[in-house]
Amino acid sequence: MDAKIIEFASLLRENGIRVSLSESMDTFRALAIVGLGRREAVRAALRATLVKRAVDLPTFDILFELYFSGVGEIVKEAEAASMDALGTTPAEYQQLLEELERLLRERGIELSELARALLSGDTGGLERLLREAAGRAGVARIERTYQEGRYAEAMQEAMGTGDLARELEGIGQALAGEGEGTLRERQMARLVERKLRELQELIRRYVRGEVEKHDVSQRQAARMQTLAEKSFYYLSEDEIRRMKEAVTRLAERLKNALAMRRRSAKRGKFDVKDTLRKNLQYGGVPFKIRFDARRRVKPQVLVLCDVSDSVRNVSRFMLQFVYSLQDLYSKVRSFIFVSEIGEITRLFEENDIHQAIDQAIRGNVINVYAHSDFGRAFREFHRNHLAAVTRHTTVIILGDARNNYNLPHEWVLREIRQRAKQLIWLNPENRVTWGFGDSEMDRYLPYCDVVEECRNLNQLYRVVDRMVLT
Amino acid sequence: MFESIEDVIERFGGQSYVCSRGIATVVYLAAHLRKPILVEGPAGVGKTELAKVLAGALGHELIRLQCYEGLDEAKALYEWEYAKQLLYTQILKEKIGEVLEGAQGLREAVDRIAQQDDVFFSERFIVPRPLLRAISSSAPCVLLIDEIDKSDTEFEAFLLEVLSDFQVSVPELGTLKARHVPLVVLTSNNAREMSDALKRRCLHLYIDFPDREQERAIVALKVPGVGARLADEVVDAVQAIRKLDLKKLPSISETLDWTKALTLLNVESLDSALVHDTLSAILKYEGDIRRAQQELKEHVARVRAREAPAPAAVSNKDVLH
Repeated sequence: MDAKIIEFASLLRENGIRVSLSESMDTFRALAIVGLGRREAVRAALRATLVKRAVDLPTFDILFELYFSGVGEIVKEAEAASMDALGTTPAEYQQLLEELERLLRERGIELSELARALLSGDTGGLERLLREAAGRAGVARIERTYQEGRYAEAMQEAMGTGDLARELEGIGQALAGEGEGTLRERQMARLVERKLRELQELIRRYVRGEVEKHDVSQRQAARMQTLAEKSFYYLSEDEIRRMKEAVTRLAERLKNALAMRRRSAKRGKFDVKDTLRKNLQYGGVPFKIRFDARRRVKPQVLVLCDVSDSVRNVSRFMLQFVYSLQDLYSKVRSFIFVSEIGEITRLFEENDIHQAIDQAIRGNVINVYAHSDFGRAFREFHRNHLAAVTRHTTVIILGDARNNYNLPHEWVLREIRQRAKQLIWLNPENRVTWGFGDSEMDRYLPYCDVVEECRNLNQLYRVVDRMVLT
Repeated sequence: MFESIEDVIERFGGQSYVCSRGIATVVYLAAHLRKPILVEGPAGVGKTELAKVLAGALGHELIRLQCYEGLDEAKALYEWEYAKQLLYTQILKEKIGEVLEGAQGLREAVDRIAQQDDVFFSERFIVPRPLLRAISSSAPCVLLIDEIDKSDTEFEAFLLEVLSDFQVSVPELGTLKARHVPLVVLTSNNAREMSDALKRRCLHLYIDFPDREQERAIVALKVPGVGARLADEVVDAVQAIRKLDLKKLPSISETLDWTKALTLLNVESLDSALVHDTLSAILKYEGDIRRAQQELKEHVARVRAREAPAPAAVSNKDVLH
């Protein structure tokens, strides 16, 4: 068992769960206390000592199933399949096995170790033989699914399936080939034949299990990678769901980075007034020194999001990001515009994400079927909402700056820039197309602190880093 | 001390706490390995309660340290009572005069005062905070460090030191070592990730929302007067609501509140009008309530349809006649 625990711990490490030496030591002590008798207790003990992050629990559960029920489960399933194939109930099947054993003894047929384990339904023995063969064939080295066939073959070789096939054939003939062949005997012959296929199935499943053990984390990493590179333009429902997962993680990162900044600025200047006041109770002797608490810089974010037809898929995703932002921080105000501008802060606060976004882009807030007019929207923002921009505010504009040849009114941006802490423009269009056709990006560009091309998650990650760290 | 995992379940049951095998195993291990438990999980699943019940089940005192941003050693460990010391020196002025009588020069006076140091820096003038109380307690105790994720990293590092050897050194008094190593329960809502070093020293326990059976058992235990049918329906409804994508999912305490409210109203079974009126007991956001109402209306209708197809048919017939 010790070796199994150590192997399991290294398997966890391989799958991205940090397990230190002291933790695997704890596991041994814990197992000594709860004992190995009950599966659930063992599982709880391993879980409590080896896994320390809630996010790792699902991976642990999968691996635990794969590793500790591995062979026993497979053997049971394979037997069930055999029962189905022979059309017998478990009780009948058991009886059949017993009769077969007796018959073989009566006729004085010698069995090899493997054949005996297989024919007598000895799960433990079979498991040991499978593991030994897997060790000889080096199945643990398997890394990818396409290697399955090759390793399965190597394992069959190591187990000696060829010899077994001949042996079982011989037994089958000895049972059925004697002429009279009662129904019972024919059934047994079929069982023997079936057992060979059962073993092959076992080997295949064993190898598959091995692949999965090593693959749990790789699969997830690969999935996120492809997702991160994907453009917002082409997202299916399912991908949007997974993207949400990613945005939540991103937002988590935002929060952590922010907490770090807050901590470094924890101590302010020496506060004379407060020190005097606090130490009056000690007769004015300054036992306790007071510092003025630095005011926390809560991030104030103001988002202007273009929801015109040309960027619809992008803004849908961007609105998801805005929604997450608003969920995390109290001081986020969001607006959407096409040619009118409308505030959606309340809408986002009160509704769940899908409803909120649906309502925002369906035209409940502003007319979304108009032609884009950035200039007009900006002027309207200037008239009605400019007071919302203070020197603590980060203004984010999401849009492609395709203005339908209307007046760009870039002076609004200049004024916003003067008032705001920073102005960020995220443009979903490829950088090379900026300024061509009706794109007014070149006119707006000089007034922005950060201008990023932002079509997919990786680009968004980069922008977020900048936004938090400056 | 607990004798077996079953013993844990039983004694927790005695404290009106329904606990799963998984939780019981971890508690049993913690008691025997003498390791702290770090409990994580969504709000309102009974993380803090676990520590209280643990103390109750063992008959130990519970000492609680509530963490918050800016919590420091003075608030967690000990503090000198300066005001009291000052007061004493004022009152004892004459006595101090006596001590100093005949002292030759400043040096000797200071020496004489220094000899009396231990009068002022003794346990008489120390205010023990939760950590020191847990360490110096003469009987075994349970130490609950609540919402550890709210504290600063500096405090976490300090805590690490205390938790690893259960001794603290007070410069003026020397090292104080725990007579009984307390059972420590730390809870976290995961506002921030705890350091690996802290996690390494703890057993990790993740408590999720209870499943249907457990929640039913909890409701039956905590709301004695509740009818079996109402309990079933409430739990089913709450379990259905938790599957929705809401801002804040209803916790166990909210299930209990709702059940209590419904029993107060003498309700025997849920219907959609009632759900509509009382949903604010378990959901705290307007948007959440609206979503859940829609879902629950369907849920109640489904349950009714499953339950009573036959009587419905009969009554229809009556109307037709």
